[in-house]
Amino acid sequence: MKNCDSTRESLGAWLDGELDRAESEAVRVHLEGCVACKEERRQLEKLQVALKSVLDSEASRIAFPPFWSSVQQRITEKSAWREDLVDWLRSVFSGPRIAWAIPAVILLLLGVLSGDSLVSGFRNFGQRNNFASVESIDAYGRNVALLREDETKTTVIWLYQNQEGEDESTTETRLSF
Amino acid sequence: MELSDWELVQKCQSGEMSAFEDLVSRYYQKVYMVILGLLRNRDDAMEVAQETFFRAYRKIKSFQGGSSFYTWLYRIAVNIAIDTQRRQKRNPLDFRETMDEVLEEQNEVAKDPFSDVHDKELRDRLVEAINDLTPEHKAVIVLRTLEGLSYKDIGEILGCSEGTVMSRLHYARKKLQSKLGGFL
Amino acid sequence: MSQRLKQGFLFSSLTFFVAAYLRAAENSPQTVSVKIETILASNQSGEFDSRLKALEKQLRVLKYRSYRLLKEESKDVPSQGSASFEIPGGRSLIVWPQDFRNQQVALKVRLQGGQKPLLDTTIRLPNKGNFILGGPPHDGGVLVLSISANVQ
Repeated sequence: MKNCDSTRESLGAWLDGELDRAESEAVRVHLEGCVACKEERRQLEKLQVALKSVLDSEASRIAFPPFWSSVQQRITEKSAWREDLVDWLRSVFSGPRIAWAIPAVILLLLGVLSGDSLVSGFRNFGQRNNFASVESIDAYGRNVALLREDETKTTVIWLYQNQEGEDESTTETRLSF
Repeated sequence: MELSDWELVQKCQSGEMSAFEDLVSRYYQKVYMVILGLLRNRDDAMEVAQETFFRAYRKIKSFQGGSSFYTWLYRIAVNIAIDTQRRQKRNPLDFRETMDEVLEEQNEVAKDPFSDVHDKELRDRLVEAINDLTPEHKAVIVLRTLEGLSYKDIGEILGCSEGTVMSRLHYARKKLQSKLGGFL
Repeated sequence: MSQRLKQGFLFSSLTFFVAAYLRAAENSPQTVSVKIETILASNQSGEFDSRLKALEKQLRVLKYRSYRLLKEESKDVPSQGSASFEIPGGRSLIVWPQDFRNQQVALKVRLQGGQKPLLDTTIRLPNKGNFILGGPPHDGGVLVLSISANVQ
């Protein structure tokens, strides 16, 4: 015979149909005679419905053709890039190694001389083609949102209007490194 | 007659892109919904969903049919989503919202993407409560709620035992209930 | 000269020029030209101001129905200085250029309401690029500022 504590521990799994027959029967019997656990069951079921509703409503928004087109593009671009790189490396690094001794030494010297600018240059190189990057935001207690939109490479900082007026602060939203 | 997942996989493995397209069309919405439940941002969810299928395509030859195709696929999706979520938590300034969500707060956009949940406050609290869960707890809630997957399948996707799935679900539901208070 | 040796010298030369370019990319500009376009976004009508054509794709992200250019102002700001721009509704925008590295200019930007700061941000923009700052209510809609910087 189950008590309330152990029934509530098993209630989720019972609703999910994951208990064995004996356990399942014990929960069922307890629920018949316990108003509090029946209420707990009702809440769990309502939670399940609300959760599914929140997430389910998104599914129909996604059209297949543009989704598939993006996946195809990834497959084509990333495969082509890798193959081109392998081909290039193969062609450049085959042949007598001795012919690479002089340029290799030059390369090493350049690396030593250009050291830090090369490193910081390569580290930051990707940023040339990227969005604006926000390094810090302080909204003085107001709610603020940061949005990046891929297609137009737009960075948006959006300052919410306070319900009570601009002089009043709401929650702290200080964001900074 | 519709081909089974395994039949389509075998065709993919011999190079038929159209078979992979069929698999994508079967699962893209489900994968997106699972990821959206984990990430709560449409742009990121779309990005991760597309990445999921890209990685599945690259790995398709290594799929031997030991598990069902969808658990294998969801496993890839959940792993990428959890990694993305962890990266976002470490870098708060990368936080993004879609403009729909931003403007909705100011009642500037009439449409509500979650319009099936009529009680806005319940919806808001639920969204907040879901976001407060750890990635692992969020994953079990999403996989069970959205997909109705068995504990065994969820365990396979997340790489944990059925017992762990059960206790994570119990914990996650208790947490959500306590946050929702009298709204349920 | 063997084919491989030629390729080797070509590769080394390329690396040299890349290193030189990257090193040259770091410098402090004398002035930064900052442009602020102040736009009124609303749902009151469906008109799109033709003067905002260059920003149309970016503005459409915001999902308002109408966009009207209220004012456009450019100032040359010295690299260690600041410039203030008047924004409708008793507001102002102050910009302090920070540095210029790898074709990216860093700006510190403050939006003020009267004397009261509303938002501070430090942002790194691609040279000649822009970002959008929006949200303050105005005249039945909201203000949207396009802030762009050009290092000469």
